[in-house]
Amino acid sequence: MANNTSGASHNFKVVLLGEGCVGKTSLVLRYVEDKFNTNHVTTVQASFLNKKLNIDGKRINLAIWDTAGQEKFHALGPIYYRSSNGAVLVYDITDEDSFQKVKSWVKELRKMLGADICLVIAGNKTDLEKNRNVSLEEAEAYAIKVGAIHFQTSAKLNKGVEEMFLVLTQKMLETVEEKEAQNAPLSRQNSQRRNVVVVDDDQVPPPPTRQCCSNS
Amino acid sequence: MPIFALQRSYKYMMYATKQPSLRINQADLKCKNGCGYYGNADWDGYCSKCYRNHMDQERQRKARQSHSDQTKVSGFSKFEEKKRQQTDKKNKYLKSLPVFRKTSSAKDSGRPERHLDLRQANPDADKLTAEFISLYGVWGEQVRRDFFKCVQSFTTKIYSELENKPIEDIAEMAQKYYNLYSNRVNNTETYQEVTTDVRDELLDFFEKYVMVSLYSWLFCPPSTNDEEKDLIIQERIRKLSWVNAHHLDCCISETSIEVRDLVYTAITHLLGMDSMKAPQDKLSCVVSCCQSVVKVLQHCQGGPVSADEFLPALIFIVLKANPARLKSNILYVTRFCNDSRLMQGEAGYYFTNLCCAVSFIENLTAESLNMPQQEFEAYMNGEITSVSAWESALVACEGMHQLCEHLSLLKDLSIRTNTVQDETKKLTDDILKFKEEMNEKVNSVLERTPLIIKPRKTPELSEKVDDTQNSQNFYLQNLQIATSNIDDAKTKLQLDITPCVSKTSPTDDHSLSKINYDIDFSDLSGESSLAELTPEKRKSPSFTPDPFSPVGSSCPITQAPLIPTKPDDFVLPFVETQETLLEKEDEGPNLPSPIKPMTAQYSGFSKQGWQIPSIPCITGELGANASQANSQTSQDKEN
Ligand SMILES: Nc1nc2c(ncn2[C@@H]2O[C@H](COP(=O)(O)OP(=O)(O)O)[C@@H](O)[C@H]2O)c(=O)[nH]1
Ligand SMILES: [Mg+2]
Repeated sequence: MANNTSGASHNFKVVLLGEGCVGKTSLVLRYVEDKFNTNHVTTVQASFLNKKLNIDGKRINLAIWDTAGQEKFHALGPIYYRSSNGAVLVYDITDEDSFQKVKSWVKELRKMLGADICLVIAGNKTDLEKNRNVSLEEAEAYAIKVGAIHFQTSAKLNKGVEEMFLVLTQKMLETVEEKEAQNAPLSRQNSQRRNVVVVDDDQVPPPPTRQCCSNS
Repeated sequence: MPIFALQRSYKYMMYATKQPSLRINQADLKCKNGCGYYGNADWDGYCSKCYRNHMDQERQRKARQSHSDQTKVSGFSKFEEKKRQQTDKKNKYLKSLPVFRKTSSAKDSGRPERHLDLRQANPDADKLTAEFISLYGVWGEQVRRDFFKCVQSFTTKIYSELENKPIEDIAEMAQKYYNLYSNRVNNTETYQEVTTDVRDELLDFFEKYVMVSLYSWLFCPPSTNDEEKDLIIQERIRKLSWVNAHHLDCCISETSIEVRDLVYTAITHLLGMDSMKAPQDKLSCVVSCCQSVVKVLQHCQGGPVSADEFLPALIFIVLKANPARLKSNILYVTRFCNDSRLMQGEAGYYFTNLCCAVSFIENLTAESLNMPQQEFEAYMNGEITSVSAWESALVACEGMHQLCEHLSLLKDLSIRTNTVQDETKKLTDDILKFKEEMNEKVNSVLERTPLIIKPRKTPELSEKVDDTQNSQNFYLQNLQIATSNIDDAKTKLQLDITPCVSKTSPTDDHSLSKINYDIDFSDLSGESSLAELTPEKRKSPSFTPDPFSPVGSSCPITQAPLIPTKPDDFVLPFVETQETLLEKEDEGPNLPSPIKPMTAQYSGFSKQGWQIPSIPCITGELGANASQANSQTSQDKEN
């Protein structure tokens, strides 16, 4: 309800996806609490955290959803990421498998949510550069290919974390504002509902690409 | 635009996964009919259009079937079928009633619209109406009227569409209406004066009101197979009752009482969901449950709880709780809870996790428990049964719980008993020590100050003068003093002496009486007159001794009346039993009165005399008391 389209405030949902132990929880704790691996973290739980931002005078509330990274829970992904505005796909630069996992997430997300969701790929643990197993060039090239932004982060040294979330937020803001601009003349009554929009059942199902909005 | 159509279908895609491979592939997403649209698990894998066609066909087929042979339908499906038929019948009946028939206006699509006064039909709505007035009455009549107008129009609209549209469309209508009302509250003049916070509250209240009013139609509606889904998941959870925390790789400690209590709390909250009516209330139950789960995990591992630990723990709780009508509740909340609340915020996150847990349970395989297929099947068939601490705890839940409580109670009691015993021992020791000390002290005092009775001169003189001058007057005076003294002495002596074993007091009596005998006869006349009175009479304050009493004036003065009088007066409880014995021991060691009478204090010796020997009397009393206490405590111990 606070989801006011007048530009005053926005609620964004961001999911953290990636293999177990790549540092998802560490990243979000670093971002929200600025703590790493300590017992002095004040949050009771790190699975759901809010962060308030102000970008160009727009109040933004980021709801960051941690997801269970175990392989057996992979299938639950769609439930977690439905109606999210952004996703942070984390891999461990010392672990090639975790990067492959990111690729499979990207594929799934693009298939399910199209361009609606802003993607960020984060190569975490850059402080372990000497053990790197995923080439930076390869990762960046891949990110460009799928329309994601690539970042190198270290939750341990607090490198690139703040920047990553900021850029993601800006991108989500752009996407939402773009969508609102297109949406407004079409269905005014629905402009308040961000993601679940009522349309006629006879609508053509969308191709998972960006130009989808032009045909209606 | 079409993105939204896709997204919308994702909203209902929560359970779109298939067994045993949980991966979603393109084929799974398409409509089963092959029309190219996206399908949905809740629509049996059809897209919405095909699903509707399919359902229509089904309905017709079933109608035909039920007409031709009803016997074919068996078991639960038969029951379901009956239920549906009954509702159909009921609706037809309702429609035929004139009250529910309303001629359709030109705007309506021509079919009769049923009008329903829900407030009349629902006591919960009545309660909410009262609540509304008490909470938001201050914002004025206009707000109230508009609120109820919107509620009425919402409920009527939904109710009229109930039969014609699938529940998902009704849900869309409800969501649309929430937004309409939200716009109305935020943009119209009626609500201008209402503060932003209260506006949000009003929106929540609106949702609550309409949903409570329509609950019986919208929760687990007969047009859906929600109830069958409930039974399926319930049966599945029952079959999975052997799954323990270890299988799920979650670190819930099975032995800690605190953890167990928190687990019970979480389970209770989850079970409470079914008894709530408004979607937001159901959601709060989920939130409370999940918060308890977080506490459990904090207890077991410390540090912030991440999703990796949270989800398995929640799955464990759902498995152990096996909540009633789980799917119906989840679907109801998904459909009718305001999306903006469901999609974000803590409540949204926890609800999503609950959906995840349910989905995981539905699709659970041997692989997801890291267990060989054969073992898994053996468990599922009941060939292996495992009894873990949790199982026994939860099966014998109540008994165990009480046992634990009783044990802690007993522990507490035994601690307290021990302290009492220790204290008692200390007290006994103190008493003994005190007794010895006292004895020593008394002895030393006695040694230092032996009683020497010196012949008194001055008081005797003055008395004598008085006596001779005016015997009548003296008599009166003496008596008056004596009475006041009685009262004083009585209170004092009773306080001091009452519990005393009168080993010493009769001796005092003796010495005193001797003194009395020796010294002052006139005094005794007063005393003896008093002795005639019953103790009751003497206690009454109005009593004044008769100065002209024949007893007082004529009675020959002897020691005889003194002895029964005094003990009777002041040491009632002991004298009677011990007097005779003590009288025999008269010639035994007498405690000489250590205090010599003084002029100022003098007034009728006999009474005064009672005050004086109270000191040696106390020593005796204490000794006796101590021994008595000793015997008592020893008795206590024996008990
Ligand atoms: N060296 C290093 N270790 C990290 C970094 N981020 C996380 N870790 C470690 O990686 C492990 C897994 O982190 P966690 O946040 O639990 O990963 P998650 O399973 O993806 O949530 C922990 O032991 C962290 O200390 C990092 O930037 N550098
Ligand atoms: Mg984690």
